[in-house]
Parts: sequence; C-alpha cells; structure tokens
Amino acid sequence: MTAEGHGVIRVDNVVKDFRPGLGLRRKRVLHGVTFEVQEGEVFGFVGPNGAGKTTTLKILMGLIRASEGSASILGCDVGESEFRNRIGFLPENPYFYPFLTAREILDFYARLSGVEASGRAKRVCELLEMVNLSHAADARLRTFSKGMLQRVGVAQALINDPAIVFFDEPMSGLDPIGRKEIRDVILSLREAGKTVFMTTHILHDVEMTCDRVAIIVKGEIRYEGGIEDFLPDSTVPTDVVLAHLPSDVAAEMEERLDIELRGLGERVELTVPEKKVRDVLAAALEAGAEVVSVTPHRNSLEEVFLNAVHEGEKQS
Amino acid sequence: MKAFVRIHALAMNTFREAIRNKLLYTLLGFGILMIGAGVLLATLSYVEVDEILQDTGMSAIRFFSAGIAIFVGIGLIHNEVDRRTIFTILSKPVSRSEFLVGKWAGLTLTVWLQLALMGLAFGAVSAVVGAPLAFDHVVAIALVGLELMVLVAIATFFSAFTTPILAALFTIGLWMIGHLSRDLRALGEQSDLGSVTTATEILFAVMPDFEVFNKTLEAVHGLAISMAEIQLAIVYALAYTVCTLVLGSMIFSRRDFK
Repeated sequence: MTAEGHGVIRVDNVVKDFRPGLGLRRKRVLHGVTFEVQEGEVFGFVGPNGAGKTTTLKILMGLIRASEGSASILGCDVGESEFRNRIGFLPENPYFYPFLTAREILDFYARLSGVEASGRAKRVCELLEMVNLSHAADARLRTFSKGMLQRVGVAQALINDPAIVFFDEPMSGLDPIGRKEIRDVILSLREAGKTVFMTTHILHDVEMTCDRVAIIVKGEIRYEGGIEDFLPDSTVPTDVVLAHLPSDVAAEMEERLDIELRGLGERVELTVPEKKVRDVLAAALEAGAEVVSVTPHRNSLEEVFLNAVHEGEKQS
Repeated sequence: MKAFVRIHALAMNTFREAIRNKLLYTLLGFGILMIGAGVLLATLSYVEVDEILQDTGMSAIRFFSAGIAIFVGIGLIHNEVDRRTIFTILSKPVSRSEFLVGKWAGLTLTVWLQLALMGLAFGAVSAVVGAPLAFDHVVAIALVGLELMVLVAIATFFSAFTTPILAALFTIGLWMIGHLSRDLRALGEQSDLGSVTTATEILFAVMPDFEVFNKTLEAVHGLAISMAEIQLAIVYALAYTVCTLVLGSMIFSRRDFK
C-alpha cells in the first residue's frame, strides 16, 4: 500500500517524445497519459497497435524514461530499481538465452530478484510445476515452442512472488490452449490478491479477466472504467425476436408483461428489460414459438473501443 | 551483498554465453597456431632463435587476445537489447550499473580463460623447443590480462550506447592509440608549439596507455620486471577500468530501450 490510498501504480501526465534521428523532428507518442491502478485489481490497458501501450509499460519498467510527468509503482519512482523485487514483468514475445535450460533460466532470474539461496531451488520447482513445465525443466530453451517460452516467461515474472505483475500482450500469438493457460494464471493471481497490469488488444481476454480497463489511442487515454460497465445489467433493454408465436399468446404477453410487440410477418420483435427476458422466453417456448434471437442493448467493450479509436482518428 | 549476487549471476551468464561464441574459438585457434608458427619463424634465423620464438608467441597472445576482447565485447550490450533479454533483466532489481559491470566481469573472465590457454600453449611450445621459461613470462602474460581487462571495459563502454560496428571501430582505434600514446607524447614534447605539447599531454592522460602492460621485451630477453612496474600496471588498470565503467554506466543509465 502506498502512502496515499491504494493506488499501487500511478501514472501522472506522462509525455514521451522520441527523436527519430539527428535533424529530424521529435515524435510525441504519449500525450499526458494519466491513470491509476488500485491494489488487487486486474487492470487491462487496451489499445490498437501503435497506441502507446508498450511505451507506457516500458516507462513503468524503467526501460525508457518519460519526457515529462511522473510514474510510480508501490510509491517508488520507476527510475529506482530496488522496489523491483516486488514486481514481475512478462514482455511481449519474450526471448531467453537459448543455451540455458528452463531450470537454469529461472535460477538466474531468482538470483537477480534476490530470492534467498536456501529457497531458490524449491521456488524454481514450484513455478515449473505451476506452468506445467516440470517435464521439460532440464531441456534447453532452444528446443521450446512459443507457448512453452511464454510459460517460462510467466514463471520468471512470478519468481519473486511479486505483489504486482505486468504482462505485455500475454496472449499474443498463442493457440487457444496457451491463451487459456495464461488466462488461468491471471485469474489465479487475482484470487491470490495480486495486482495485475496487462496490455492487450484482444478484447475478449480483457472481458474475461480484467476488473478495470483503460483504452489508449494515439498516446491518449480515451476511456477508463470498470469492466462491469460492459457486463449484463437487469435494466438494459434487450431485443427478442420470436417466430410462430400464436396471436392469443402474443396478446396475453403484451398485457401481462407490459410490452409492445412489433410484427415482422411470421416473426415478432419485442424490446424488454433484461430482467423480463427469462419470462418472455418461457412463455413463448411454452406456446410453441421459436426463439430467433436475443440481443442485449448493452455497450460492448468492442463498441467502446471502436468509438475511442474512431474519435482518436478524427482528432488527429 | 545482494548487488554482488546479481553481478555474479550476470557475469556467469555472460561467461556461459561468451564461451559459446564461435568467433572466440576461431581467434583462439589462430592465436595458438601463431604461437606454434613461432617455431618456423625462429628457424629463419641463426641467432636469438629462442627470443624470436617467444617474441612471436607473446605478440600472438597479445594480438589475438585483444581481438577476442574487442569482437566479443562489442556485441555484449547490443545483443541483449536486440534480443530483448535486457527487458526481463532490468525489470528485476538490477541497476544498469550492475548490469554493465556484470557483463564486463563475465567477458573479462572469458578473455582471462583464453589467455590462460594461450599461455599454456606458449609454455608448451617453449618447453618443446627448449627455450628458457622464467617467472617473468608468467608476469608478462598476467600483465596482458590486465590490458585485456581495460580493453573489455572500453568495449563494454562503447557497446553501452552505440552499434557493434561503431563500437568495434572505436575500440580498435583506442587499442591502437593506447599502444602509440607514449610515442604521441614524445612527438608532442619535441614540438616548438606549446599548444601541441599540451594537446598531446592531455591526449596521453585521457587515452589509455597500453604500453604500461607490455613487458614482452623484458620477459623474452630475460630482463627484470620490477615490482614498481607491476604495481603501476595494476593501479593503472584498476583506475582506468573503474573510470571507463563509471562513465559507461552514466551514459547507459540514460539510454532508452525502444
């Protein structure tokens, strides 16, 4: 916990300019990015390619320096290094020394992370077990598949039992099994009370794992909010399309549920609050009708994302 | 203590990586071949046969060891950035100075190991042809080790902020200047212009002086190497290495890894 509240990651008005080369104009890639991540939440940092996700993450990891503004993790400036024994980081498409084995690379990172010598071997074994790599513990990394390397990456990020874990595009390029494994790791970290910061452009993964999300487009935060904004809500309207609904049942439903049916030939369409959907469907099915579609009107993350990208493009 | 553990881990990893470099074995092979070729060169002369043999051997040791230090050293940091292995390393509680020192220590260990192998080859060839071997030969080779330590620091310094090609050019340039800096100073002293004398004095102070480590002549011709010369070489090597690594760390700590 930091001195001021529970914001364990704070990014305050961060600007980043890159100089492409001598004599060339500098390029601003982050325009005053500000957000805060609370302790124990899984935070999705979402944006299209080139939006500034990885640049922001690299600033947090101390790999590049902000041109303006400040960023802190666990109350420490990101330029420091000692607090990093309390964080873990999985870069996008991680690469490891191919001449080392999985056990050796984890031992190497354990030494760098300050894991005590007495518990180092045990910790390495635990993590190999956790990421299902015990069978390949003594195989050279050059023989590993992309998914296996990603799991080694996850293991090295967790080697020091960190309070905060940063994942950069953790599901990128993985097959469905690999994605599920990484998703399970993230969910288990949440259960363990860890804070997770994840950059991605795969919205489905965000919806399945994150508590809160920020959308960055062209170096500016366009949206920040809780994932519950995108989840089903009993008050949001839902369109239901039914076929072969007997007219007497239709009239009875209109009266009982206080709804209006719109005729579409053999089909009828009605709009009801989500909490009444179950009743409508039960009545329709009982009367022998066929359910054609059920479409909630809620904003999907995809819609918000696409709107944010569209707005960003209009303004630039 | 924790910093030492981290530097040790980085150094050992660098060592393990460096000994897999094919270039190292190529240069080491050529070096040992040249040491052996001293036997052939020595047959061309009727006088000072042993001296020619050992002079060729010591020169081969210095030249090929420097080649290994430069050409393996220049890619030290660049490879880590290029392959992005540095991302995971610097996300741990590792300062950039520790990273740089760890890389330097690992490569220094590597070049010392190959120096020991070349030294053994030198000793073996000398023993086979019956050339005299004395403790001063060991001292002279150990001083080459100090030169390599400084050279690796210079290669690491340039590797910290520039491309391998530029780092190679700069390091080779400094290595050559380092063996000529005394001559440059002597030339400057003979100049009528005070500014030239001052400039060469400043250059001599800033540029490395690798001749302080060169005791080939003394070892080969059986001349004594004084303790004062050895102490000077040790102090000079340590001071120049520390200054180079500190300067390298200062530049490296400001570098962005895109």
